[in-house]
Amino acid sequence: MEALKQTLKQQIIEALNLQDTKPEDIDDKAPLFGEGLGLDSIDSLELMVLLERHYQIKVEDPREGRKILQSVQSMAEFIQSKQPA
Amino acid sequence: MAAITPQHSFEGDLFAQPLRSNTGNLLQVTEPDYKAFIPPNSLRRMSRLLKMGLTAAQQCLRDSSLGVPGAIITGTGKGSLQDTERFLKDIRQYGEKALNPTPFIQSTYNAVNGMIAVAQQCTTYNNTFVHRGFSFEHALLDSILQLQEGAPHTLTGALDEMSEEHFYIKSRIGYWKKEPVDNVQLYNTLSPGTIAGEGAVFFSLSATPTAHTYAHITGLKLLYKPAVAGISAGLSAFLQEQQLAVEDISLVITGRNGDSNFEHFYTELDKVLGTVPQLPFKHLCGEYETSGAFAVWLAAHIMKAQQLPQQWFPMQADFPAAGFQRILIYNHFFGEQHTFVLLER
Repeated sequence: MEALKQTLKQQIIEALNLQDTKPEDIDDKAPLFGEGLGLDSIDSLELMVLLERHYQIKVEDPREGRKILQSVQSMAEFIQSKQPA
Repeated sequence: MAAITPQHSFEGDLFAQPLRSNTGNLLQVTEPDYKAFIPPNSLRRMSRLLKMGLTAAQQCLRDSSLGVPGAIITGTGKGSLQDTERFLKDIRQYGEKALNPTPFIQSTYNAVNGMIAVAQQCTTYNNTFVHRGFSFEHALLDSILQLQEGAPHTLTGALDEMSEEHFYIKSRIGYWKKEPVDNVQLYNTLSPGTIAGEGAVFFSLSATPTAHTYAHITGLKLLYKPAVAGISAGLSAFLQEQQLAVEDISLVITGRNGDSNFEHFYTELDKVLGTVPQLPFKHLCGEYETSGAFAVWLAAHIMKAQQLPQQWFPMQADFPAAGFQRILIYNHFFGEQHTFVLLER
């Protein structure tokens, strides 16, 4: 799980071009939107694309997406839940 | 006005800026520090052309002190190539699935206009013209019509970028010179093709002069695919419409670009212009669809300062004396779209 979260942070930084942000600057449980990284609605679409490209997970329901994209922690938990045991 | 171009045109005293030379047949813009103009959270998502366009527009509005524009009108030949290429590559790489929305949104031609409007909270008329070598001139024409219909002032601009891939594609179809050419030597190397360029130039236009006015745009004529003789006839007709004689023109800025395929248009023009002083501008900005905006920007600076940036023209043996009352610009884009623009003091 820890390794997944580290990878995810790096992927988020690259996908959203967060130039002055390092993986260690992102708190696992801090909200990605509004506060925290201050991401917006277009970023949420880009994060959906990230999940599809890197983890082959397609989020169909936007309401579900809101919960998944709350934080790095929630994203990592969702990815892990979709991976074969 | 504001211009982000291959020259040091964005900040400082234009008449003290050295000429930038290049031998790669592609003149790329000198980019300013965008952080001073665009919030970091927006900047990180923007591609090059969007940054250039939005920054030039913001600087232009600062320069004019006119506030929120009455209309935002731009011209572009290709829009954001960087985003278009990224979007197309993603379609191929990911099999039309998992496509990132940002390059698609930004690849639309009017993306810069939208961003300017959002930044300025401007809900007035907003239009982008994509008409190859007429793109800027149609934006200019629309702006003049808007002013005639009562718009207090317009923000009018032109923007184009050149990517490595697009440069390569166009080189395959003979747009650029095969041999590497120093832009300073462009007019001494008459051969097929020219050098590529790019830029973002914005103007605040108003119906009445202000303390910040550089020049008056008093005439505009567009000719599509004219015969060679149509150039001299077109210029004569244009001057007649303006009730001017050739001798009334103080200076002609031409789009001469060392391309032997189209030099005959300029030779034809020389017959009408006689001894009227001429200056070329393509060694400064390169060739691109909206390079005419660079010429207007240069002419307006010359008109206001009543002097020439002589350091930018090392190929000139002598220069006309000051007293620039009227400057005529003649430009064309690969022999198809020909334009005359007249500026007066």
